[in-house]
Amino acid sequence: MRKFLTQAGTGLALALCVSFGSFDALRAETAVNVGLKAKDATALDPHLSTKSGDKPIFALLFNGLVRFKPGSMSPAQLEPDLAESWEVSPDGKVWTFKLRKGVKFHHGYGELTADDVVYSLTRAGDPKRSSVSSDYNQFEKVEAVDPHTVRITLKTPVPSLLGLVANYHGGNIVSKKAAEELGEGFKQKPVGTGPFMFKDYKAKQGITLAANPDYFRGKPKIDKLEFKFVPSDSSRELAFKKGELDIFTGKREEKWVQRIGKDGGLTVDVFEPGELRTLHLNTKVKPLDDIRVRKAIAHALNRDDFIKLVGDSVTRKSWSPVPNGYLGHSGDLPKYEYDLDKAKALMKEAGHENGFKLNAIITKRSALLRPMQVIQAQLKKIGIDLELDVVEHSAFHSQIRKDLSPMVLYGAARFPVADTYLTQFYHGKSRVGTPTAVTNFNHCDVADAEIDAARKEPDANKQKELWAAAQRKLMENVCSVPLFEQLQVWARRNSVDYGYPLEGALSLGPLFTEASAKK
Amino acid sequence: MLRYTLKRLGSTLPTLIAVLTVIFVIIRIAPGDPAIAILGDNASQQAIDALRERLGLNEPLLEQYWYFLSDALTGNLGNSLVSGRSVLHEVLEVLPHTLDLTVAAIVIGVILGIPVGILAAVYRNGPVDYVARIGSLLGLSFPSFYTAILLILAFAIHFPWFPVISNANLSDPGDRLYNLVLPALSLGLIMVAYVARTTRASMIEALGADYIRTARAKGAPAFVIVARHGFRNAIIPIITIIGLYLGLLIGNSVIIEIVFNRPGLGKLIVGALEQRDYTMLQGLMVIYAFFIVLTNLVTDLAYGMSDPRVKYQ
Repeated sequence: MRKFLTQAGTGLALALCVSFGSFDALRAETAVNVGLKAKDATALDPHLSTKSGDKPIFALLFNGLVRFKPGSMSPAQLEPDLAESWEVSPDGKVWTFKLRKGVKFHHGYGELTADDVVYSLTRAGDPKRSSVSSDYNQFEKVEAVDPHTVRITLKTPVPSLLGLVANYHGGNIVSKKAAEELGEGFKQKPVGTGPFMFKDYKAKQGITLAANPDYFRGKPKIDKLEFKFVPSDSSRELAFKKGELDIFTGKREEKWVQRIGKDGGLTVDVFEPGELRTLHLNTKVKPLDDIRVRKAIAHALNRDDFIKLVGDSVTRKSWSPVPNGYLGHSGDLPKYEYDLDKAKALMKEAGHENGFKLNAIITKRSALLRPMQVIQAQLKKIGIDLELDVVEHSAFHSQIRKDLSPMVLYGAARFPVADTYLTQFYHGKSRVGTPTAVTNFNHCDVADAEIDAARKEPDANKQKELWAAAQRKLMENVCSVPLFEQLQVWARRNSVDYGYPLEGALSLGPLFTEASAKK
Repeated sequence: MLRYTLKRLGSTLPTLIAVLTVIFVIIRIAPGDPAIAILGDNASQQAIDALRERLGLNEPLLEQYWYFLSDALTGNLGNSLVSGRSVLHEVLEVLPHTLDLTVAAIVIGVILGIPVGILAAVYRNGPVDYVARIGSLLGLSFPSFYTAILLILAFAIHFPWFPVISNANLSDPGDRLYNLVLPALSLGLIMVAYVARTTRASMIEALGADYIRTARAKGAPAFVIVARHGFRNAIIPIITIIGLYLGLLIGNSVIIEIVFNRPGLGKLIVGALEQRDYTMLQGLMVIYAFFIVLTNLVTDLAYGMSDPRVKYQ
């Protein structure tokens, strides 16, 4: 009798499950808690915010016409995203994209059409609504040929055009209807087509994203992503140990990577992009306008000390103005090896045998402040007395953009094509203190011709040669001293599986796709 | 008493205007740009200029000052430059967290500090007194972030009883209390030290008074002497110190807020400073100044309630 009851009970339970459709209904909700090194998210608009804390979130909410292969940031591995296919005219000026059909925007904002793409790319090129508008100044027009075809006409050919329509900054496609309807409110309620959709935002606490059931690559296995703003390094680590976080932004220091690795049960991912730390020297002010002084500085800086400071598994030395791994990066450049005697001789030759005094502004954030203190100590050896003015991070950025510091230590990762880095940091038009300023702190314009020519060069090999020539000129002129690259570090519990090997992420954080899972 | 209260509130207006003017000028002299804080390091100069224009940062300073002052006096604190949301809304959002923490810390301070202080005074120079004095000295010398991390290691990691990230759900009282325990203890233990020391000193003075000797001589029980004759007369300095710290705690709990990742006024002020969020900072100063005035007023009124000899004029 008892046996019968057990069997009947089991049978009934099975029947109930089947009648509810599937066992899926019984599955508990999968949530992943992410600890972000950020205080708050203030503008969740991919065209507006370039803050590193916001980028990992944009990558989940939006798609581009093409995308970087998950886990990679190589422009050579761009693959179709919202566009299924594309064609280029023989002169390289007209690009036609065929859109994927049946892609739905979040929150019932309807199906993606060419109008949304036209709206988004036009918006990305408008300085009033976009922070990256200058990237799009070669666009003549963007038009919808039919509801699923978009045509981009360029003023001059842009060989790396796909990068501008990829899922990064301005290439993210927003819903036209939502952006127009919500206006300023869009940045508090972003609407895209990505695998996850915006659910909730709690000021200074966190952001909740929910799986997009209509995602065109399939519904994600993870139901919910809880992003928590935890600016303190030690609090993130403690919360992870306690089990309140599943993955979090780590400290980009070898000591930290080794220490936390000992705990077991977790994986530390060290991945691209490497943020290049470059010391820019203002070539137009005394005494740095003398190339001998700049060469002396280059010879006085010992890269080994910087690597020792941070640790070699998370950093690598750099000799080129364009970071390693970027399309067009050249390694064949003049190197100014560490040589104190040579540096001192150059100082003497320039008439500064007794050295000189120089003021520089630097942020109080340790990622830049500590290397700057190393620079200060190293330059002291050749008689340069560097006085540091340590200020808040936003004050640092506004002051160096006003051209107030003759020496600027800057750390950046950009779109991984040589053109972006060269244009923003080394083109004459980008010099700080001018109306078209971006971040050229060294005031160099020696490679303008090569940078401009490379941008228009349709032949990929010739383009690379032009970029290499530009880098060579910049280094011959010692416009800056590239020092080292610092990689991204995130830790995750072993139960979290991104679904791809994480080698690079332009979003500066792991991307969750439809295949990512938590066991 | 009502007239007194109104008079006190009215007299704070000039102080408030002076505070606002100083804040307005200082924050604009300090280098930094809210537009970069909003858009990130990577933004183009064009975008930064466009945003500055939209935020009204390109208007003449005097004009900005006039708008700010007239708005503030009519109760309109404006919108945060960075988040675009109303300052009042942002403050009200975090205020419950701050009040929870402050009130809990004061309550812990009073409940533990006063008895310890009284006992130390009554058994002066005895073992109880020594323990209390050394304990409160430790409480005063430990920085609050250190106590906070020790508490986390003990009661969140080793014994996983409480959360590390205390993001409480405000609508759930149980969750709110659960998330409050460790932060309130970290801050409360310091309050215990302050309150205990003040109580002890004040009680020793009161217990040495002539009327205590008289009470003893007429044979009053020890408890009555300490509680009614001693404590009642020693309470004014204790109220003063509690009032003083209530005002300070509201803004100074920032370290606890950072370590436990709690939202709160302290964190809001520091964040606004770092991001050069002028309007937010100005609004916070108005609210903060108002709080200080209010706690002072409440403290003064509490004097009268505890000591009938205090008169209001």
